[in-house]
Amino acid sequence: MIKNQSNNFDTTEERPPVLSSWNKLYAVVLFNLVFLIVIFYLFTKIFS
Amino acid sequence: MSNRDWIVLIGFLSFVVVYGIWKTRGKRDIKDFLLANKSTPWYTVTLSIMATQASAITFLSTPGQAYVDGMRFVQFYLGLPIAMIVLSVTAVPIYHKLDVYTAYEYLEQRFDLKNRTLGSVLFLTQRGLAAGFTIFAPALIISVLLGWDIRLTIFMIGGLVIIYTASGGTDAVNKTHLLQMIIITIGMFSAFVVIFYKLPSDISFLDATHIAGKMGKLNAITFSFDWKDRYNFWSGLIGGTFLALSYFGTDQSQVQRYLSGKSIAQSRMGLLANGMVKIPMQFTILFIGAMIFVFYQFVTPPLFFNSVETENIQNSLYSAEYKKLETDYSQLHAVKQENIRGMLDAFYENNDGELDTYLQNIRNMNISELEIKEDAKDLIHKVNPQADTNDTNYIFLSFVINFLPAGLVGLVLAAILSASMSSTSAELNALASTTVIDIYKRLFKKKASDRHYLIASKAATIFWGIYAINFALFANRLGSLIEAVNILGSLFYGTILGIFLVAFYFNKVGGTATFFAAIIAEIVVLAYYFFTKIPYLWYNVIGCITLLIIANLISVHRLFSQNRGTA
Repeated sequence: MIKNQSNNFDTTEERPPVLSSWNKLYAVVLFNLVFLIVIFYLFTKIFS
Repeated sequence: MSNRDWIVLIGFLSFVVVYGIWKTRGKRDIKDFLLANKSTPWYTVTLSIMATQASAITFLSTPGQAYVDGMRFVQFYLGLPIAMIVLSVTAVPIYHKLDVYTAYEYLEQRFDLKNRTLGSVLFLTQRGLAAGFTIFAPALIISVLLGWDIRLTIFMIGGLVIIYTASGGTDAVNKTHLLQMIIITIGMFSAFVVIFYKLPSDISFLDATHIAGKMGKLNAITFSFDWKDRYNFWSGLIGGTFLALSYFGTDQSQVQRYLSGKSIAQSRMGLLANGMVKIPMQFTILFIGAMIFVFYQFVTPPLFFNSVETENIQNSLYSAEYKKLETDYSQLHAVKQENIRGMLDAFYENNDGELDTYLQNIRNMNISELEIKEDAKDLIHKVNPQADTNDTNYIFLSFVINFLPAGLVGLVLAAILSASMSSTSAELNALASTTVIDIYKRLFKKKASDRHYLIASKAATIFWGIYAINFALFANRLGSLIEAVNILGSLFYGTILGIFLVAFYFNKVGGTATFFAAIIAEIVVLAYYFFTKIPYLWYNVIGCITLLIIANLISVHRLFSQNRGTA
């Protein structure tokens, strides 16, 4: 028997402490990652 | 160590222990003890998550890793921000809404008891051993500093952590993490500043960075894919995402940190802030290691960084042979130093021909240095066949003890001990929660008073502390500590993550299919570990994907069989 509870990935409940929506905050985290990868790549290239 | 160092160090140790005991006052409730009554704000959640992950191993081993292997280890963390987003969307709301104490409680609600027990046992096995490493790392510092037997220091430090953790509970763990992270930041920043202060006056920050780069230590990103390469962009992004998903989503030592958040939003924000700052923090620690490497290009480093083993050989029959190797090493180093200066001049003069010649000379001399080091290790082995000849973990420590001014040595050691105590306390806290909530309360004593479970939690903390101490006694022979911890985690994390992913996303797959798929996936991962040379980050992917495929195949097969039976 499958006891499955419904997995409700609700993102609308409470607003984040910063920015107006969770999606914007997720985008900032992803942008930060891409930015760091680019910076690290340049860092590797410039000093190698 | 000077008196000032001892005052800083002992003052700190006493403070943490007293603070932990003080924080237990009035804590008579299991929810308060294990979840800090769900009252923690997001910034404390972030610092607590970071302090839990950044153990003393991070500060001892990571700079040494950069010294030996360059900065490419930073790629290990590239998947972390992605995992933080996925967990914020999925795990955090589920755990909060179900009001669970542990992540494994959710597995019973979704599947059945056997999956909950399997998840708990895999966690207890893996994290119990990892806690041994976290106790071992600071014990190593004290043993090298004081020349004590490492077993004695393991028992001493492990004992202090047990008292503090068994007394404090989650609230004290979280609040102490805040202070510990401040000490860690100040300690590492001080070490960073001193390195540049100690460089020769004609070597600027930019020169030092160019030297590290030309000598292959600033290889932060490598896009080329190679199965045999342990750290590259792809293994970091893919394997690292799976590892971080598993560590932060299913490892109770981390889940407990954000379960203590005031609300879903506070827990989420705690995770996301960690996703923003973790990579720059690791980059900085690795950069410190690369700069220590540059520093030791102008100051002859010890032939072997473990001073205890060096003293042993200097007092042995092989003393003269070792002395000869030290002299050869020192002479070679002096010639290499001239070539490094020549390389720097050629670089600034844009003289590519000379630059290549110098670089080739330096590479050849690096090979000769490694040969001398290997000869030294052979001698060390002759004196002590049990000696640990991997000195990566001693590099940063050796620099701190020998080159930092009085007071700062104590501060950096306090930072390292802070890191160790913060992660060990979180680990013991989580091990106790899982033991009491998922095993003891669920399987053996379902109805007892709150006070009974509170006492059981404290007893479980002490038990796991003793268990970790015992494992720490064997950790000395396992090579680079940070890698050993991550390899150990990767053997189990893929399977655990697979179980949770099925729970979250595959609603038609039941408990029995998941359970058997987990057993098979774990066997597959162990087979890869023992019989192949695939880098360990991929174990997370292999374990998880194997489980997902097999669980779905079993589920489809069962549905197909049932349909045929009813047709």
